[in-house]
Amino acid sequence: MTPELRPFSGLKVLDLSWVVAGPAVGRVLADYGAEVIRVESGTRLETARLVGPFHGGSFAPEASVCYGDVNAGKLGMTLNLKLEAARDVVRDLVRRSDVVIESFSPGVMERWQLDYEHLRELNPALIMLSTSLMGQTGRYSRFAGYGNIGGAMSGFQSLVGWPDRPPLGPYGPYSDYVAPRFSLVALLAALDHRLETGEGCYLDVSQAEATVQFLAPQLADYFASGQVAERLGNRDQAMAPHGVYACAGEDSWVAIAVRSEAEWHRLAGLIGRPELAGDSRFATVADRLARAEELDAIVGAWTAEQVAGDVESLLQGHGIPAHITISSTNALADPQFAHRGHFVELPHPIHGTTVVHSSRYRLSETPAITARAAPTLGEHTEYVLREILGYDDERLRTLEGAGSTA
Amino acid sequence: MGFLDSYRIVDFTDERGLLAGRMLADLGADVIQVEPLAGSSARRVGPFDPDGESLYWQAYAANKRGVSCDLDRPEGRDAARRLCAEADFVFESESPGVMAGRGLGYDDIRALNPRVIYTSITPFGSDGPKASYADTELILWAAGGPLHAHRDGDKPPVRISVPQAYLHGAADAAGGALVAHFARRQSGLGQHVDVAVIESVTQATLSRTLATAVGDPQGSKMIADEAKVAVGKVDQSGSGSGTAQTKWPTLDGFVELHLAMGPAAGQFTNNFFAWLHDEGACDDRLAAVDWCTAPALLAAGELTLDEVARARSVTGAFLARRTKQEVMEASLTRKLLGAPVYTVRDLAESPHLVERHFWVEVGDAERRRVLPGPFARTAVDAFSVRRRAPRLGEHNAEVLGEVLGLTA
Repeated sequence: MTPELRPFSGLKVLDLSWVVAGPAVGRVLADYGAEVIRVESGTRLETARLVGPFHGGSFAPEASVCYGDVNAGKLGMTLNLKLEAARDVVRDLVRRSDVVIESFSPGVMERWQLDYEHLRELNPALIMLSTSLMGQTGRYSRFAGYGNIGGAMSGFQSLVGWPDRPPLGPYGPYSDYVAPRFSLVALLAALDHRLETGEGCYLDVSQAEATVQFLAPQLADYFASGQVAERLGNRDQAMAPHGVYACAGEDSWVAIAVRSEAEWHRLAGLIGRPELAGDSRFATVADRLARAEELDAIVGAWTAEQVAGDVESLLQGHGIPAHITISSTNALADPQFAHRGHFVELPHPIHGTTVVHSSRYRLSETPAITARAAPTLGEHTEYVLREILGYDDERLRTLEGAGSTA
Repeated sequence: MGFLDSYRIVDFTDERGLLAGRMLADLGADVIQVEPLAGSSARRVGPFDPDGESLYWQAYAANKRGVSCDLDRPEGRDAARRLCAEADFVFESESPGVMAGRGLGYDDIRALNPRVIYTSITPFGSDGPKASYADTELILWAAGGPLHAHRDGDKPPVRISVPQAYLHGAADAAGGALVAHFARRQSGLGQHVDVAVIESVTQATLSRTLATAVGDPQGSKMIADEAKVAVGKVDQSGSGSGTAQTKWPTLDGFVELHLAMGPAAGQFTNNFFAWLHDEGACDDRLAAVDWCTAPALLAAGELTLDEVARARSVTGAFLARRTKQEVMEASLTRKLLGAPVYTVRDLAESPHLVERHFWVEVGDAERRRVLPGPFARTAVDAFSVRRRAPRLGEHNAEVLGEVLGLTA
């Protein structure tokens, strides 16, 4: 619809995926010019719509910002895929699509005869991306679950928390954050290959396997020497002081990391304890690591009297890594996020305005254009059927009457 | 061979960006890793093997060829510029302004090679008020958002114990560079791709960073209107993103199991109590609760919070007598929302990953490494994960000869 050059101008994507790990891929394609048609059930709310934060702070089917973020820029239609007539609509969409993305439990698409072997008969050059928790093959392929299970099955749930407490795990469904990055790169490489050769393909992404890529050094370590990585709280193996310290005021924290002797000497002066710089108990990083708890107490006693943002400015002014912990409230006030244009406002039919994350890459010549808010349930069903598929009134009435578009 | 085997990449990154080139190398691209004469700082990032060699380097520089080059001297810069003149993609992760100061910034390279896609990975972005901030993993996790709300009771916000922030940025750099490549396919021209790690990292909050912007400063995870009054926040998503206990001790470690309520995932909880009932571990009353409608039952007073608490304590007692593997098997056969909390050892020994031939061996007799394999599976010749990470300057002669048409 925009005349200027967009990276994915003309690319047609059928997005049958749901929750986060699948839809996040289509969001990128839409940001850079693809037409992405997101299909969902109108009768059983997709999980992302149940996940907050919510506009105004309370749940409503159209209030989820989690859903809104990963589906911005897409067209949205509802189909009841349990019905054959609805699946025929999918087949018509597949015939005109370059890419299909889906994230149903392995076996579901096959049962619906919408798996790659069936769809390639309709469209031999199709690229189909399936993203599932454990992949399409192997003894645990039918394992169900969300990204927290993905976090468990990829090793991350064991690697967050305090050594003297049970593991806490990462913040939220970790594989939902990591896996879409790998899905996207695999998909774009496949698309490039198709442009060179005309050949489509099927891509099976296991979200757990993609997430394990972020633990590759720790796995290599285990295979090399049997070492098993453990949770360490906020300790680092090469830096001390290193931690998150409470500051004056409610729920206000600053992260501080000291990388070198020189930084330690500067910090000692800045916290009003210049004598510590010459204290042999803290001379080397090994000394400081051995007394990390003592150091945490010293630094924490100072930060407790300080405003977190002042600590950040003071320490950064002296080249020492420090930053307040960003809540959603101070993210909005953060000058760097503002400078990046991170919070993208979009008109919304119910809320007036909604907000999504900006694209994670700034392209100098063909920047992202997030054209519209995520679709409300079924917002473009009629548009897709009538304008894109060219169905007539009668076909629309039949589909609607049978509940296929619900 | 691979999807991207017709492309050449010059990779100047260190530990802040190493993964980007590795991802594209796995897809067949010819990636030339450029290091200073003293070796990449990534070679000093742990963990280390018994010989003191960095496994971070071994993992994320794998599949690349390596050249050493002093970018602070004219001859080194000249060689680097000649490499870039022939490159399809360039990646760098220096602090803002450093590459331009060497005559190797985007504008310098574009003048030599207008097709180049030049991707910069920086902690806070290439410009802006915090662009020159000092950074570490912990600082970026704080600045990007996932740290603040991540608490275990009274303890301070806690990070992931292995470095992650730069990996998020680097994986986005690979994606952003390929997006730019599709623009180049049409225009014939390259561009600059600017990745700020803080923006990559904020993705790891499940959109929580957006909460205040939409009038939900508490960032409610899941509030069902009908249950709100009775129980406050009840997570109905099933993703375990917002509720209390999800880690339960077993005989040999922990399992992740979420007693989900509501229409999205309550059925998993019903299945779980059916298992307990079959094993004689819970009474008829608990087995009869329909967790799909639990929020409404709670609101109506037909289910009490005491009963929910009893369900949790019965769960704890039952799981304490099971192994992770038993819970895994039951999750598969009975469709539970539960999983073993895998350690690195569990992962390495997972029969599922073995069946999928996930692990790959790279290298030669001298340095054999086992690494995670391709990040997607496909029947066509898409991936190639073969080469171990280069020794310092290992391919100097080869690359200078081949790429620059010079004799070493």
